[in-house]
Amino acid sequence: MNDEAPIEMLPPHDDSAAEFGTEPTAEITTEPEGHQPDDAADRSVAVRAQKLTKRYGALVAVNSLDLEVPRGSIFGLIGPNGAGKSTTFAMMASLLRPTSGKITVMGADPAHKPRTVRRRMGYMPDNLGVYDNLRVDEYLEFFAASYGIHRAEWSTLVDGLLELVDLSVKRTAMVNSLSRGMKQRLSLARALVHDPELLVLDEPASGLDPRARVELRELLKSLNGMGKTIIISSHILAELEEMCTDVAIMEAGRLLAAGPPREILQQLGGARTVRVRFADGAAESFTVADDTEQASLLRRLVVEDGRAVVEFIEESGGLEQLFMTLTQGVVQ
Amino acid sequence: MINPVLGRELRERMRTGRAFVVLGVFLALLILTVYLVYQGRESTGLIELDLARQTQLGRDLYEWVLFVMLALVLFFVPGLTAGAIAGERERQTLLPLQVTLLRPRSILFGKVLAGMSFLVLLLVAALPVTMVAYLLGGIRLWDGLKGLGAICIVAFLLTAMIASLSTFTRRVQTATLMAYGFTALLVLVGPLLYFTLGVADRSSGTDLRNPPAAILAVNPISVVADITSGNTLTGDGNPLRWARQSLREAKVNNADSWFAWFPDDSFGNRFRILEPDDGGFPAWAVGTIGLALLAALMATLAVRRLRTPAEVER
Repeated sequence: MNDEAPIEMLPPHDDSAAEFGTEPTAEITTEPEGHQPDDAADRSVAVRAQKLTKRYGALVAVNSLDLEVPRGSIFGLIGPNGAGKSTTFAMMASLLRPTSGKITVMGADPAHKPRTVRRRMGYMPDNLGVYDNLRVDEYLEFFAASYGIHRAEWSTLVDGLLELVDLSVKRTAMVNSLSRGMKQRLSLARALVHDPELLVLDEPASGLDPRARVELRELLKSLNGMGKTIIISSHILAELEEMCTDVAIMEAGRLLAAGPPREILQQLGGARTVRVRFADGAAESFTVADDTEQASLLRRLVVEDGRAVVEFIEESGGLEQLFMTLTQGVVQ
Repeated sequence: MINPVLGRELRERMRTGRAFVVLGVFLALLILTVYLVYQGRESTGLIELDLARQTQLGRDLYEWVLFVMLALVLFFVPGLTAGAIAGERERQTLLPLQVTLLRPRSILFGKVLAGMSFLVLLLVAALPVTMVAYLLGGIRLWDGLKGLGAICIVAFLLTAMIASLSTFTRRVQTATLMAYGFTALLVLVGPLLYFTLGVADRSSGTDLRNPPAAILAVNPISVVADITSGNTLTGDGNPLRWARQSLREAKVNNADSWFAWFPDDSFGNRFRILEPDDGGFPAWAVGTIGLALLAALMATLAVRRLRTPAEVER
């Protein structure tokens, strides 16, 4: 998805205003009944931020952020602590008012039409706030009621959500008896209770063990397969690399780059290392600039050199390299 | 549909043992009050043979039970309600709630109703204790209901104020301290101000105006004392009777209060809202309106504080 989307790079901490983003090619989700049709330009964009800025006194938490999240994508927002990711999410989720600039979520401005945004967006904050003295089903029913879902629908809805997040066996368990991973999945079910088109997940994998992380990743992929746009932040770059179609990298409140990871890397001119293992047991590493060079190398090894290749894998690169190349460890 | 916050709060509250401990302590203290008052009167002779003394005992019991009930409400409401919103913040459940379609006023109202529902449960459970006085003949049924109604009004307004106050803090501990401090101020500031102004006025020697009685009336104890006023005004040190007596004196002096500067005609009389006997508004009405205005102001500020999108994360 969006593999051909053009991207534009910004030098880190450049004060100049720059335009970013992808030309959206993602599928357009069907408008649910009762929603106002969006502007044609916004139909393929889930979230659009234009010069979005949030200041707390002298501190600029988000600085002139320009961003477009294509609908149907899994969009990773990456950055060190204090980069402004959570603040950006809070503005998306209609919790914070921007100091200046504009943000639209599914075509609506969260600052002026928060309820329209809330109907179409599920938000999972970076902390696990759950009511310990409720049962799992009561917890979800409470949020179903808070979204105005009719009581007659609760049972079916809760069944479906618990099955989706694989918590059906815990339906009548007390929330305080759940493990952290289960609570995380319950929080995700809560964010899905009103069947939103957009999911905004702030550090959903933090504190999870490897198995729980893999389960969460698969769950998010299946939700994306249902047509939901997912915006996710995480410190675990390997997790994001596995599933994100697009990423944005922030540092000190600024956007450093946005687009499909491979394209950002290519535009950065970053070389990649390919490790080749031959049939005779020998292994060699080659440095290539892009996919064309990689294909040419493989052809040369197989055809021209006549050597039998048993393994041809990219050894380094990806989000981690991208992250380390772009960020400078600036702390505000 | 029932307010979701109310439903959840009641479910959570009744699921913990704390609710039953509070209920048990509440009833135990009321029963102890009845026992102590009864023992105190019985020690002076057999009450069963003296109808007048039996009636007096009924009235005394009623007043003491009512006062202890009011004191317990003033003690329990801050403790039970202080964490209404601060608790949501502390356990990080407020943000998920704020991104639902619930409006801030629904969240606050749900919290107030939940607190109030529990207090109503306490008061209903205490009905049999209150009705001992009725059985002894000291009060009419209407008197008993008026007393409970007054306690309910005070409890509701105090719950609204404390829940509103809870929106201004992040920690339950801080919220609890603030709630008890606020309740103490609510009870003490009026009388202290009234008597301080009175003393200052008398010592000045030039201006012999009395402070307005309304200062004394806007107080939870005054509201309950005035609503339940009967014929017995002097008594055995019951704070309700003391409050009632002070209020009566203040009302007598009110005609000579600062409002006496207003002309003694229909315009000026509007400001003399508290007059002795049949003149002006009753003190409990003035007190209730005053407390209601304060609760409304605090609730408005609380709703604004809960409203999102906000300028800063709270």
